[in-house]
Amino acid sequence: MEQDNENDVLNETIFLPDFCGIRMVLTVVVVAELLAFVILLMTSIDRPMSWDRLGVLSLFIQWIALSSIAILCVSRKWLIRLNDTLAGYISYFIVLMVTLVVSELAYWSMTSMGIFDNLRSHVDFILRNLGISAILSAITLRFIYLQYQQKMHMQAHANARIQALQARIRPHFLFNSMNTIAALIRSQPENAEAAVEDLSDLFRASLSNAQQLVSVADEMELVRRYIHIEQLRLGERLSISWSLDDIPDAALLPVLTLQPLLENAIYHGIEHLPEGGEIKVFGQRKGGWLNIVIINPCLPPDSARRSQGNKMAVRNIDERLQIAFGKPAGLTVLRETDQCRVEVVFPYQEKK
Amino acid sequence: MNILITDDEALARGRLRTLVEELGHTVVGEAGHGEQALQLCETLQPDTILLDIRMPGMDGIETARHLMVLDNPPAIIFVTAFDQHALQAFETSAVDYLLKPIRRERLEESLNKTGRLNRVQLAQVSDEQQLSRSHICTRSRNRITLVPVSKIIYFMADQKYISVVSAEGEVLIEESLKSLEEEFHESFIRVHRNALVAKSYIVSMEKSSGGGHYLVLKGTDNTLEVSRRHVPSARKIIKSLGG
Repeated sequence: MEQDNENDVLNETIFLPDFCGIRMVLTVVVVAELLAFVILLMTSIDRPMSWDRLGVLSLFIQWIALSSIAILCVSRKWLIRLNDTLAGYISYFIVLMVTLVVSELAYWSMTSMGIFDNLRSHVDFILRNLGISAILSAITLRFIYLQYQQKMHMQAHANARIQALQARIRPHFLFNSMNTIAALIRSQPENAEAAVEDLSDLFRASLSNAQQLVSVADEMELVRRYIHIEQLRLGERLSISWSLDDIPDAALLPVLTLQPLLENAIYHGIEHLPEGGEIKVFGQRKGGWLNIVIINPCLPPDSARRSQGNKMAVRNIDERLQIAFGKPAGLTVLRETDQCRVEVVFPYQEKK
Repeated sequence: MNILITDDEALARGRLRTLVEELGHTVVGEAGHGEQALQLCETLQPDTILLDIRMPGMDGIETARHLMVLDNPPAIIFVTAFDQHALQAFETSAVDYLLKPIRRERLEESLNKTGRLNRVQLAQVSDEQQLSRSHICTRSRNRITLVPVSKIIYFMADQKYISVVSAEGEVLIEESLKSLEEEFHESFIRVHRNALVAKSYIVSMEKSSGGGHYLVLKGTDNTLEVSRRHVPSARKIIKSLGG
C-alpha cells in the first residue's frame, strides 16, 4: 500500500542515513577532527607536536569528510532506489573518489605554497590517503549498516506488537454483540441484519494495517457503526453528544484511534452506572494541531468495584499516534472523581 | 419451574425469557440489577435465578452471596458473555454457568441439574478474584437490608455479632472482624481489637484526659478509642488524608 512518505517512518528502507541533517553534519565534523588528532598523535612520535600541522591535517580531513557527505546528501535521491548492497558500494566509491580529488588538489596547493616539501612523491601521497580512506570508510559503512539492521529489527518488533494489540477486538464486546443479534433475529430481523453489517465493518477495520492512516470522516463512520451496536444493547442508558465541527473531515489519523476510546468509555464508564450516562465528544483546532476530547461519567476510583486496567488500549493508541506523527502527538488520560477524560492530539494533515 | 431472570440489558433478558418459556418453565420476574434481584427473590420466591455477572452497581457474584442470607435461596445459574477471571473461579469451585449467546440445550441441562450453590463455593469464587463486596447484607424481621460499603463509618465487634454503623443507622451481622478487615483493607483500618474504621470518615485523632487516643468521625457523634499499638498507623492515615 502506497502511503504518505512523510508520515510513514516504516517506509524507510534504505540503510544510508540522511546526510543532509544538521546533526549528521555535526557528528561528521567531530569524528573527522578526532581522526585528525589520531593521525597527528601517531605521526609526531619522533618530533614535537605542532598546532600548524594539526591545522593543515584538519583542513584536509574536513574537506574530504564534508565533501563526501555533501555528495551523498545530494545523490541520496538516486541511491534509495537501489538495493542496499549496490547503494553501499556506490557510497564507498563516492568517498574514495572524493579522497582522490581532494588529495590531488591538496598536493598541488601544498607544493605550490611550499608546505610539507618533504613529501616523498605524488603517487605515494595519493595512495596513502586512499588507503586510510578505504579502511575507515569501510568500517563506517559497516557500522551504519549494522545500526540500521538493529533499528529495523526493533521496528519490526514494535510493528508486530501493534498488530497483535490492534487485532484484539474486546471479546466482551464480540460475545455481547452476538447475544444481541441472537435476541434480535426473531423479534427485529432488520436490526439484526444491520448489526451483522456493522460488526463486519468493525472486524474488517481491526484486521487492516495498524499504521494505516484514514480520514476523520472514515474513522467516525466506524465509530457510528460501533455506537449503533452498543445502542441496541444498552438502550437509553447510552447517550452521546458530538461536537466535531472544528475537526476537518479530511484530517488523517491512524485507523481505530477513536473507536477503542469510545469502547473504553462504555466498558469502564457507562456499563458500571445503573442509570447510564452521556459521553461527550468534542474537537478543537489549534493552529496546525487537532484535539479530540472524550469525556465519560464513571464510578469514583475508590468505589468498592474493582476497576480493571484499560492501560493497554490507551498505550497502544498513544504509541501508534507517536509513530505516525512524532511527538507531541499522542494521548493523555485524566481521571477525575466521577468522570474520565481522554484527549487525543494530532497534527492536521491531509492526504496528498 | 419458576425462574427469575437478572440482566442489565433488556434484549438479553428478552432472549432468555423466550428460551425459558420454550422449555416449558415460567418466568416469574425480570430484574435489571442486583439489588432488584434480591428484592424480587424475597417476594417472588423463584426456584432458580439466572444471574448475569457483569451488571452495574452490585454484580452477579455479590448478589449471589447476599442471596445466601435467605431462608430458602433459589438455585443460582450464572450467565456471562466473557469474563476470564470468573470462569476460572467457576471451574475450580464447580459452579454452574452459561455463556452468552446461550444455547437452548445448555440452558435445559443447567435447569434440570439445579444444583444449589453453597456459601463455601461462593466465598471461593469471590476470594479467587479478590472481589470485595459493594454492600453488606443482613436480614432482620425477614427483610433484607443492604448497606452500601461506602456509607459505612465503622464496624464494631461485640461478642458474637458485629455492629455495622453507617450514617443511616446500625445493623448487626454475623461475620468475623478479621475477614472484614481482609476484604476491605483498602478502605478500612483497624484502630482497636474490636473496631475497623472507614478511612474516609476519619476527621481527626484527639488525646483524652486519661492519656489515650480517640478518633473523631464524620457522620456520627460517637468517638472511637484507638489502642496504643494502632496509634502510629492511624496517624499515618490522617496525614495522608491531608488532615
